[in-house]
Amino acid sequence: MTSRTLEYLTSPDLAGLYWPGVVTGLIIALSTAALSVLTVLKRMAFIGQGISHAAFGGVGLAAAFGLVGGSAASGTVAQFLVVFGFCFFAALLMGGLVRDTSGVQTADSAIGIVLVASMAGGAILMRTATRNVSWESFLFGDILSVGWADAAVAGACALLILALLAWFRRPLLFHTFDSAAARAWGINGKRLDYLLMLVLALATVTAMKLAGVVLATALLVLPGATALRLSRRAWSVLWLAHAAGIVGVVAGIIVSFEADIPTGPSIVCTLTVLFASAATAAAFESRARRTATSVNTTERETP
Amino acid sequence: MSPLSRPSSPGPAIEYRGVTYAYSGATAPALQNVTLTVNSGERLGVLGPNGGGKSTLLKLTLGLLPLQAGEIRIFGRSVREARSERLIGYVPQRSLAELAFPLSVRQVVEMSALAGSAPWRGLARDARARIDSALDVVGIAEIADRHIGGLSGGQFQRAMIARALAGGPKILLLDEPTVGIDIAGQVQFGNLLATLHERLGISVVVVSHDLRAVAAGCDRIACLSRTLHSHTSPAGLTPAVLAEVFRHDVGAIFGDVHVDAHAASTCTDPSHAHDAPLPVSITAKPRTSRAEEP
Repeated sequence: MTSRTLEYLTSPDLAGLYWPGVVTGLIIALSTAALSVLTVLKRMAFIGQGISHAAFGGVGLAAAFGLVGGSAASGTVAQFLVVFGFCFFAALLMGGLVRDTSGVQTADSAIGIVLVASMAGGAILMRTATRNVSWESFLFGDILSVGWADAAVAGACALLILALLAWFRRPLLFHTFDSAAARAWGINGKRLDYLLMLVLALATVTAMKLAGVVLATALLVLPGATALRLSRRAWSVLWLAHAAGIVGVVAGIIVSFEADIPTGPSIVCTLTVLFASAATAAAFESRARRTATSVNTTERETP
Repeated sequence: MSPLSRPSSPGPAIEYRGVTYAYSGATAPALQNVTLTVNSGERLGVLGPNGGGKSTLLKLTLGLLPLQAGEIRIFGRSVREARSERLIGYVPQRSLAELAFPLSVRQVVEMSALAGSAPWRGLARDARARIDSALDVVGIAEIADRHIGGLSGGQFQRAMIARALAGGPKILLLDEPTVGIDIAGQVQFGNLLATLHERLGISVVVVSHDLRAVAAGCDRIACLSRTLHSHTSPAGLTPAVLAEVFRHDVGAIFGDVHVDAHAASTCTDPSHAHDAPLPVSITAKPRTSRAEEP
């Protein structure tokens, strides 16, 4: 850690500006780690992407209500509620949980439609509602726009996400692993699908503040993808996902401070580097194992 | 006594009486007037083509579809009661599970025991004993710590059976158990059913379109294609009955499977024979089937 990171976090003038973003980053890493494992395993990355882009529509709606750009804590909470509500509804649409009676529309196209419609609607609403808010901070995140009120909202969301996942972990695991069997055991899969969408929407809206709507999905995919490359044991996967998330966020913030680049993209790049390293290590390990097996068989065959 | 065995109850394991089910919008019912008894301790194979109502029967038995007409009693109880008492252990098809999940065999088997328990409660001692016993009886205790995705088809099936047994059911219900299993695995599957039957006295229902699956480990076969067929044929499971159920040439479907006279005779259950005319006409006349060759 060199001078600039230390300066930002210790100087009395700057600490108040940067600390809320750093704390929020850590909270996001903790709240998305476990969920990211499930996102990867259940191939929900595209739904996550859809939800996070839908958040832009939510932001547009909040702007239309005059809830964007202010700094009051009540405004932060109100904006969060509007965006979250919008995201949750979009999640239900994309998860196919809102019934499509025609039977024509697939989940895939539903995501495509909701994603672009939300972005377009959000852009129009924001443009008409306010002209002095930068879009970039919503698209890619901005650590300086994160205040203590945002950190508090993120903390509350994280607690709710972790509590829901912990409480429902057994039926949720059974349902996601083998839904046909889970149903036979009396587990209500539909309710758990709603729960998953709710948690995904919560996590996305939390991550959006720092990483923006375009990059929020990174936190919902990369930690889990990294962990699953490194282990096939449930507990180690969970720990590795948390470690990857925290290392990615902390290193990303430090790099962004030192190199003076935007924090959200910096975090996403760090997470991607972590994933690429894990994938490479896993590839080398499996090749080494294959070679070892073939050497063993050759040894056994030649007396 | 194994922790998996439960005190036996008198009477048949499952009784279907006049069970009829039609999906909304369908022109013909999926099941029509099915009356069938699964005796306690029996291994019954339900054989039928795809779309013949097998999975409907299965879902009705598990309580996943509401009963429209007729009655199902499971050890004298309603489907709902049987479900809450966990009388039936269900083994779904292999293709439906997510094999990439980072779970060990034991964790998958534990799932069923933990499914209904409070989130703060761990595994009770008797549940743990049942899980150990289930892993042991299906012969996968040594690989209990392996990753679930790294198993062979046969090993994975054993894990699924262990998961079903861990709840201590009195009936084991298997859906298409031989799909994705090689010939050696199918023979082992038959032996496994015999072992379970011998050691636990459990009743078994195998639902499949594959004659090998039901011939391997079952001591009686019911042929289902919307209605029950074997029970209307006095000669039992003859190639003609099979041809009628599958509406195809049996030799062409089953290759060199041999239906012996014993299996054919035990197939018929005279107590359920009735004289209703067969609702399905034979569209493909059977050639000389290999099953008839000496």
